[in-house]
Amino acid sequence: MSIIFILIGISLCVALAFLGAFLWAVRSGQYEDDYTPSIRMLFEDEALPDEK
Amino acid sequence: MFVSRARRGGPELCGCQFSCLPVPIVAPAPAENLTHTACAHCGDACPDEPIRLAEEPELSFCCQGCRAVYELLAARNLCTYYRLDERPGQKVKPVELPGRFDYLDLESVQTQLLAFRSPTLARLTLSIPQMHCASCIWLLENLFKLNAGITASRVNFLRKELTVSYQPAATSLKEVVTLLASVGYEPQITLAELGAQPHHANRTLYYQLGVAAFAFGNVMLLALPDYFSFTAQLQAAFGEFFGGLSLLLALPVLLVSARGFYRSAWQGLRQRYINLDFPISLGLTALFVTSVFEIVTQRGPGYLDSFTGLVFFMLIGKWVQQRSYDALRFDRDFTSYFPVAATRLTPTGEEAVPVRELRAGQRIRVRHQEIIPADAVLLRGQGLIDYSFVSGESEPVAKAPGDTLYAGGRQVGEAVELEVVREVSQGYLTQLWNNPAFQKADTATLETYANKVGRYFVALTLLLAVGAAAYWYPSSPAMALRACTSVLVIACPCALSLATPFALGAALRVLGRHKLYLKNSAVVETLGRADTLVFDKTGTLTDVKRSAVEYAGPVLSLPQQQAVAAVVRQSTHPLSQRLAVELPSGQLAVTDFAEVPGAGVRGTVGGVTVRVGSAAFVGQAGDSAGEAGVRQSRVYISFEGGPSGCFTFHNVYREGLREVLAKLSQTYRLAVLSGDNETERARLRELFGPKAELHFHQTPQQKLDYVAQLRQQGRRVVMVGDGLNDAGALQQADAGLALTDTLTNFSPACDGILEAGSFGRLPTVLGFAQDCLHIVLATFVLSFCYNGIGLGLAVQGRFTPIVSAILMPISSLSVMVFATLLVKLAARRRGL
Repeated sequence: MSIIFILIGISLCVALAFLGAFLWAVRSGQYEDDYTPSIRMLFEDEALPDEK
Repeated sequence: MFVSRARRGGPELCGCQFSCLPVPIVAPAPAENLTHTACAHCGDACPDEPIRLAEEPELSFCCQGCRAVYELLAARNLCTYYRLDERPGQKVKPVELPGRFDYLDLESVQTQLLAFRSPTLARLTLSIPQMHCASCIWLLENLFKLNAGITASRVNFLRKELTVSYQPAATSLKEVVTLLASVGYEPQITLAELGAQPHHANRTLYYQLGVAAFAFGNVMLLALPDYFSFTAQLQAAFGEFFGGLSLLLALPVLLVSARGFYRSAWQGLRQRYINLDFPISLGLTALFVTSVFEIVTQRGPGYLDSFTGLVFFMLIGKWVQQRSYDALRFDRDFTSYFPVAATRLTPTGEEAVPVRELRAGQRIRVRHQEIIPADAVLLRGQGLIDYSFVSGESEPVAKAPGDTLYAGGRQVGEAVELEVVREVSQGYLTQLWNNPAFQKADTATLETYANKVGRYFVALTLLLAVGAAAYWYPSSPAMALRACTSVLVIACPCALSLATPFALGAALRVLGRHKLYLKNSAVVETLGRADTLVFDKTGTLTDVKRSAVEYAGPVLSLPQQQAVAAVVRQSTHPLSQRLAVELPSGQLAVTDFAEVPGAGVRGTVGGVTVRVGSAAFVGQAGDSAGEAGVRQSRVYISFEGGPSGCFTFHNVYREGLREVLAKLSQTYRLAVLSGDNETERARLRELFGPKAELHFHQTPQQKLDYVAQLRQQGRRVVMVGDGLNDAGALQQADAGLALTDTLTNFSPACDGILEAGSFGRLPTVLGFAQDCLHIVLATFVLSFCYNGIGLGLAVQGRFTPIVSAILMPISSLSVMVFATLLVKLAARRRGL
């Protein structure tokens, strides 16, 4: 049953990674504007000017 | 009598402000204008002969300004702007004063505006209230195609902010702002923006929430074996390890996530005041200490799963409560209204200076539509000052050289020269902000129900805890300790603390959908408990954009009406402009146009001289009875050798005002505070009924004092106003609602912003706020039931970790759902 120690260790590491990802997302300002990015991703890149 | 509506000022009010997708602006098509085409740029109706482009004749424009923007964008292949949304543009104002942005070259202005500055890169955030759709975002983020010196620009749509980075070597701040203005997105740069830190939303709560969620999930997982009896063996083998790990995970929750509750409780205690956070902190401490004791002495698994869960749920409540409207500012003072720079006259010529550097004795020039930055004496020119925003007077005041002009007025007409008497910080208007009402801390003006209930709650639970301990102690000291701690644990009024944020948070969003934006959810409670409503007149009860015009005199033929229209269109006087909107337009040429300040205008149309202005100016005997009785705004006209007549302008009250007041007067005491004269007393009396108090000629200070006096009488006052002159009263009232026609324009410091179009819903909104209070109370009852069950188990010593782990999340979740659903139901019942 000592495998439980390893399993719990691994699960904690995974959870910690997710916590880290969340903190990073907050830190990088992703929670400050949750509207504009949804519009921005709809804009097409204009590779060549005047390409209709 | 005919009533007209000024043309839509711009698409700011398109309704896409907060939630829905941008709505394409469809040109308003008044019945008589069906033949007119909409401008390809801004969507306004084009004149009879639209301005067209030589290359693309299918496009029509309403003015040269719009065409210029189109040409500018077309030249840089930026016509995607017009494909993303239909007619997204802003009508470009023709007033292009040379040197309008000169102040941006000043070193002192730049250091205050720029967030980052180095020889190779400068960055700043500008507020651009005009942005309203996807096209705006696209164009503003492609600014680098218009000016190579701009390296990047990024929009925060909800805040209506644009962050621009540019190379100081290649371009300048002035060029960036000029470029923005030229495409119709002139940033709002006022005194308030100077030195303002770019506000970062409070990220602490997100961090706390993340930590709590992480710990909650994992502690729950470790505690799971305890919930089942068949895992007793497992528990025996790993109990110590699981307990230690849970403790490790719960520690950051106590230190980081639960910090806010402890701090708030401590602040309350220091002010000798017990708020709801006090029993919460007490319960959390009891939970944690008991768990640590149990784990360390290996008596049991502890309550750490309940502890982390509670903190997590309560933080969600806090988050719901905190979510508000980022784009709106509720703390604006006069500095948001004042310009950054003024034009100073020196022996060598004009120069731009920051307003804060103006000193008494200096001479300044104020042009048409500019704001007088400091109290000053008029030296040269005819002043015609629009004080409607500052004092509430509905008509501009004519001033002659030698008169004192107070800061905040807007000059209409020719450029004038002034000598500054007092610095900005000592002006008449800024004095208002030195009133203690503005210094009051951000504490709730009313004691909230939750805090009041919380206090009894503390007393009750402490009593019960002592009682339970006293009852058990003779038979079993261990049981006494257990009962005592579990009473303290269950005393944590977590469900109670969730009731208010969820009910009022849901109410906040319902109201937001109907264009009433409140500063925070506590304002809903204040609104629900109000018993007195105080209104401002100009701009609040009246609609400044509309005016009713009555014509008295011989009937004018169409060409005559067009002739008058052609003459008044030349003038910038507000009455002229209102008259121009009323009269049919024609393309008649005006010659010999002359404007006599304070008197009227004259011009020759088709060989006939038309005079428009005061009675004396047009050579008419004024209607003496009318002149003496009421001071109404009148404009007399006369044709050379032809008929003469008179236009009378009335204040126009908002649509549905009569019904709104009829409903409100049943439940509330009403009052009107007007800075204007008494012309409208009779009409207001009729509208408001015999009981309402009507006060005229009120200064901002008097308004403030009146509201303060009402509050001293124990009344709960809601002030509805719109201008700077109401700022003091808005601040002094329990809840101040600012009425605004364009959300993004200036509104003084207040607790809520009501869009003028929703004024008719005021009775419904106030009724709904009362409903919400009942809902909060109902939710309190529900959460008390849970606490009652818990307490019943606790005093018997049967409150085990597993009971706690089941009861606590269920009570929290059910309270959240119950509160939200009831508010939705109430909103539907009210038709909101």
